[in-house]
Order: sequence, then C-alpha cells, then structure tokens
Amino acid sequence: MIRYISQRLLALLPMLLGVTFIAFIIMKAAPGDPVGMFMDPSVNLEDIDRIRSNLGFDKPILIQYLMWLKNVLMGNFGYSLISGKPALQAILERLPATLLLSVSSLCLILLITFPLGILCGYKKDTPIDDGITVFSFLGLSMPSFWLGLMLILLFSYQLDLFPTSGFMNPLLYGEPFYKKAGNILYHMCLPLLTIMIGGIAGLTRYNRFGIIKILGQDYITAARARGVSESRILFKHAFKNILLPIITLLGLDLPGLISGSYIIEFIFSWPGMGQLAIQSVFQRDYPILMAVILLSSILIIIGTLIADICYAYIDPRITKKGKS
Amino acid sequence: MLKFPLRFIGMLIGLMISVVGCSSDLSDNQVLTLRLGAEPSMLNPILSTDSPSSSVNGYVFSGLLKVTPELELEPDLAESYTVSADGLVYLFNLKQNIKWHDGEAFTAHDVKYTYDMILNPSTNTVRRSDYIIDGKAVEFKVLDEYTLQIRMHKPYAPLLNRLTMGIIPEHIFEVTDINTAKENQNPIGTGPYKFKQWETSQFVLLEANEAYYDEPPKIKKIIMKIIPDNNTALISFEKEEILSSGIPGKDFKRIAKNDLFNTYRYYDLAYTYLGLNCKHPLFSNKNVRKALAMSIDKRSIVDGILLGYGKPAHIPTSPEMWTYPKKPFFYDYNKKEALKILAEEGYIFDKEKNILSKDDTPVTFKIITNKGNKDRELAATLIQKNLKEIGIEVSIQLMEWSSFIAIVNEHVDPKKFDAVILGWSLGLDPDAYSLWHSREYPRGFNFVGYSNSDVDDFLVMGRKELDREERKMIYEKMYEEIAMDVPYIFLYYPESLVGLNKIIQGVSPAGPAGLLNPIENIYLIEK
Repeated sequence: MIRYISQRLLALLPMLLGVTFIAFIIMKAAPGDPVGMFMDPSVNLEDIDRIRSNLGFDKPILIQYLMWLKNVLMGNFGYSLISGKPALQAILERLPATLLLSVSSLCLILLITFPLGILCGYKKDTPIDDGITVFSFLGLSMPSFWLGLMLILLFSYQLDLFPTSGFMNPLLYGEPFYKKAGNILYHMCLPLLTIMIGGIAGLTRYNRFGIIKILGQDYITAARARGVSESRILFKHAFKNILLPIITLLGLDLPGLISGSYIIEFIFSWPGMGQLAIQSVFQRDYPILMAVILLSSILIIIGTLIADICYAYIDPRITKKGKS
Repeated sequence: MLKFPLRFIGMLIGLMISVVGCSSDLSDNQVLTLRLGAEPSMLNPILSTDSPSSSVNGYVFSGLLKVTPELELEPDLAESYTVSADGLVYLFNLKQNIKWHDGEAFTAHDVKYTYDMILNPSTNTVRRSDYIIDGKAVEFKVLDEYTLQIRMHKPYAPLLNRLTMGIIPEHIFEVTDINTAKENQNPIGTGPYKFKQWETSQFVLLEANEAYYDEPPKIKKIIMKIIPDNNTALISFEKEEILSSGIPGKDFKRIAKNDLFNTYRYYDLAYTYLGLNCKHPLFSNKNVRKALAMSIDKRSIVDGILLGYGKPAHIPTSPEMWTYPKKPFFYDYNKKEALKILAEEGYIFDKEKNILSKDDTPVTFKIITNKGNKDRELAATLIQKNLKEIGIEVSIQLMEWSSFIAIVNEHVDPKKFDAVILGWSLGLDPDAYSLWHSREYPRGFNFVGYSNSDVDDFLVMGRKELDREERKMIYEKMYEEIAMDVPYIFLYYPESLVGLNKIIQGVSPAGPAGLLNPIENIYLIEK
C-alpha cells in the first residue's frame, strides 16, 4: 500500500508540470493583460507599456513560464498584479471562510441525502418517493443566484431573521471567541441554505438511483430469500455499495471544497475563494490564477488518490484485482 | 440516521437566535456604514486605479489641493500657493504641524518623495505621464520644510488638478519596494480618517483622526462593507445595514417615497458613446457618420435604458463641467434628412427590401461592446433597430472586457473593429488630448483614428492657456468641431442615483464630487 501511494505521489510531479504549463499557455493566450485594463483618458499608453515591461510581460511565454516555475520551486508564488499581495497569502486568507461554508454544507448535505435517497429508492414509486422527487427537481431547477436573492428577501428583509450578507459584524473583532463564532454562524445560515437546497436535490437523486440499482441485484434477492431482515439488507448489504460511487464523487469534490462558489459568495458578500478565482480570471491576475490552478490540481490528484484508497478499503475486490 | 442532523440543525438555530442581538451594534450613532462595490486593490493613491480604492484613499490620504463640492480646487495640505506670471513656477506653502497617522511630522519632503516615486519608472503607476510635459518631467523642489516649488518648462493647465494626488509618507516607503509593500494594505496618511482594519472581501474600518489638521471629523468610525452584488446592496440599504447606496433606476421612485431615505440625482463626469472607426471604408466619409448620427434616436435610448435618468449627449464632456457650453452643437434626429445625405453620397435605399446599398453591396457593420454592461448591451440593440429603419444591417458582438480592450487598444492601423460602444469617465480638467489628438493613433486612446488639425491645435492651446474663460472658449470651439465631425455618436450622459439614510446629516449639494464631501461635516442623528 505504501509503495502504491508513493508511486502515485511520484507520478504527481510530471502531471503538475504538464497541467501548469498548459494552464500558463492558455492563460497567456487569452487576449488582454492586467495592465491593458486601465481604460481611462488620463492614462497614457506609454505608462502601460512601461509597467508591462516592469512585470516582464514582454518576454517570450516559455521564459515567463520558466521564471514562474523557478520562483515556485523556491517557494515564491509571486505577487498579485492587482493588489500587490503575495499570491499565497491572498489565497490563504480566504481559505477559512471558504472551507467553513463548503465543509459544513457538504456534511449537512451528506447527512440529509443519505437517508432521503435510501428512503426514496426503497419506497420507489410511492407517494413519499414522488414527493421527495418533486422537491428535488424543484431544488435542482432553481438557479442559485435567484434562490439566494429570494432567501435574502424573505428571511432577511421581510422576516428580519438574518443579515443580508457578510461574514461577521466588523465591530465584533475584539470580542470573545464564542461571540464571533456565533455571529459567523448567524451570517452563514442563508448562504448555507442556498447551497444545501441545490446540493440536497442533486445528491438525493444520485443516492436514489444507486439504491434502486443495488436492490435489484441478485445478492439482495438471495438475501431476501434467506430471510434476512429488511433493515439488515438495507444498511448492511446495500449501504456499503452505494458508498462506492459517492466516494468517487467526493474525491473529485475535494478541490471544490477550496474553490468555493462564485455565485453564492458574490450574492452574500462571502469572503471566499470563488470570488478571488473568478476575479483573477477576468483581471488576468496571472500569479493568483496560477497559484489557484496549482493548488486545485494538487487537490484533484490527492482527491482521486484518497478515493482510490477508500475504494480498496470498502471493496476489497479492487486491491485483489490490482495484485493479480 | 435522521436524529443527528435534526439535532445539529436545532443546535445551529439555537445558536443563531442567541446571537441575533449582536447585529444591532451597527446602528451605533458613531458609526457610518457605507458600501464598497468591490474589494479595493491597494490603499495607495499613487498605485491604485479602481474606484473602491479611491473611496477609501479619499478618507485616509490628503493632497496638496482638494476638490470642493462645487468642483473647485482649494488648498488641503497646502496653506496657500502662488503661480508665477509666466505660469512656469508654482510655489506651495504647506500647513505646519501636520502629523502622519503614525505621529511622524509631515513635511515638504513627503510631497517631493510622492511625486518622485510617481516619476520613477520602476514604480508600477499609470500616473507617471500626468507629470511629464512633452517628454520633460515636472520638477519638485523642497525649498524648506514647509515650502515646495514646482517648476515646468512650459505652461501646463491640467497640472493643478493633478496636485490633488494623495501624498504618501516617505519614512514608510523609502525602506520597502512600493509595488509590493505591506503598507499598501495598511496605509498611513494625513487624512481625516485613520486606517484601522481591512478584512479581505469583508470590510475596511476607519477611525476618526483626532489630530486632523482641519476640523476633526464628527463621526468616530466608518465601516465600508464590501458588497459586490447590487441587489444585495439595495436590500442591505433598505434594511438599514448600510446607510448609503447607489439606486438602480427602476427602484428610484420607490426608494424616494420611503420616509427612511433621502434620494439624490446628479450627472456624472461621464458620457457613453458609439465610437466609429474613422479608418473603416464606411465611416471614413464624414457625411455618412453625420447621417448615422441623425438616424439614432438618443431620446429613446435615454428613456428606454436609463428610464429617463440621464440626457442625450452631444459633445465629449459632461453637463457638470465648467466647459459645458450653453447650447451644444448637435444634429437633429431626422431619418429623412439622413437618407437624403446618404443618397448624395451614392447610397441607394431600397424601400421595399429595406436595404441600404452602395455599388450593389448592402451596408452592414458590427458593433462590439463589453459583456455584462446591460446599459450598453441595450443601447446596441436600440441602435441596431434605429439603423434597420434606414436599411443598415448592424450585428452586435458582446465581448469579455479584457478581450474587448485588447482589440480596441491593439497597435495596428487600421484597427480591427467597425464600431464600439464605450463610455469615458472624465477628470476635473477638460484636457482630452489622449482621446482626440491625431498623434494618439494608432497608439493611444484615439482608437477611432480621428484626425482634425484644428482640434489638434485646440488641444495644445487648451493645455497651455491658464485663464479659465479663455480655456472655456477654446474647448467650446473644440467640442463643436468634434460634434460636427462625428467620430463618436455621443449617446447619453448617465445620472448617478444615490440614496442616503435620513440619519446622515451635513450632506453637500448633489454633484460628482460626492454627497459626503467633505466627510468632516457629516454627522448622524438619532432616529
């Protein structure tokens, strides 16, 4: 197992080189650059050209990439071209808020969708299943920007239960931890709810199909024939098997946890990574963009690795096949 | 299985309710809560170009001069200044006993340092050429701790307005690389408010500068919340979480009727236009451009898109500018006349097929504009409709901003576009050399390739002339010349619609200099 993991980790290096190189070229191929954005009659194009050469944009792309690579290997991810902040710092300072929202929403979604999906699949074609299905289609078809605004209008404006947006009351910075934590939770409710409504809908459908497929398998019929109790069939025999596809999904979701959601963050003024990443695309903030790409490729690779390991743990057949 | 999440959710709700009380702190009488539409880039006036940064910098930094609500200049860090008879030397006497927010004394060296940094080629500022006149840099010389001499080799009227630039502290920046200095996130200035805290993507917190050299500000704290979404900001404003907000036209009447708020409207120093590529075979003919201008119903654009909050534009300035003439020149909206002019130029209008053609080729062109600016997108559609009526087929392409700008600014002749919809924000000085001078093509913002030697002369004269009345006459003539030539079809002057919570008092008359200017006069009342 350790050999397997170290092999996979070694394979990571050429993959990262390839990904960052391709990303760098695509990024540079996109028209425009951060300096060209100053559209202001009081700005002289000479200044723009001077800054461009200060930043090294006039060098060939390959040289620029090698310079970036050299700096990264020395632990320097560069400075944001917009804010002048170190790229790593710009990312790290947004990580807590991003993780808070994404991890808690993922946990809640999983906790809710498993029972819902199993219930749906098990009670297939009953009014319960139909009801939940209607709800999940509703949830799926509502765009999150609209849903978010509606929730703000209802819960914040009409009912005055929650603040419209933000992360924490700015005047609470000197206050004790529990007050701050409470205030953050209070601000988090509406964005969390918005993410959850969409997420629950999707994953419930996924779990429902999983359970229906598994309940139709021969070994379930065999277990039923042997007189195994229904709850044992569901939670012992079927449950582990619907975990498999979910693990793949979660493995691929790992980078999603840190990448945040632009739309939710934009509407709720949530200080997360989604805003940073999208803005750096539009502003052509290359150092930030490259750092985000590097980080998410590492996470995608690690995510699939973890998923593979979990597979082996849950389904012993997979490692055995690998060995034979 | 279901028990755990339910209990967890219950706990969450319990926690929330226990902390609901915290949110009322913001109505504190000493806190002015405003909105920023985006994260500021750098809190350094010589490096930043975005408006959120300028909003914060305006409170933290001060310049030699400042802009009054009437858009006049008055001394700020300066006590007084004189201009030599030949207009080449400005002598500034600075206020004494001004302290930086960290307690250090402010002197003329800081002013010189600021301008030297701007002029330093390795500083990544786009302001450098503001202080370079025909290739020669303006000289800043310290005569003594509180006297500064500014010398240039020829008279240059726009310079005075550029002396409103915020002054940065030498003792902080001389030991760092200004482009990446930590102090760009943690600024030290001399302004009415001290920088206190900036939480990324959340807010900037400022505190009153008790040692301010002028009248100290009345409000103790300013929180500038970063709320990117306009809809959220409006709800936030109506919920009184923020005390000031821009109001979309469709909501303006409703907000104006609300007893909680005061509303204001004024013209921005800005205009929106359809720029015609004068090197394009179709638009190289002045009469064709004139006919197009006569075929576009600007009034319907203002009514349809701005819902009446604005007015049709005819010349390249703003109604708020002192150079705006009493009666600007413009071509009347008149389709018949337009078709007549086009016929004289050899264009044949086939009424049945509704096609305008010349030499059997139908007239078509493409308008490009940036995606995401709804007003411009709609304006393009209305123009398309207007021109369809005289048989011209217009296609529209919406582009992402960077790609759009890359096309417009590409250093080629001719440029690769037919027509663009764009807008300009104007400075306080009427100088518009970079937009209209023939030398600013193909490298420069005269990307439509406009060339008129009279306009070139007016631009040069306008820069040299220091007398305001004389300057006004020069620019009036220039505006008329440009309006007659139609390199742009000027579309509209947008209005700013702003709402303030009624607890804000001491507000200036509505104008582009801002309602909360000067901030020292603003105070909050109990409801």
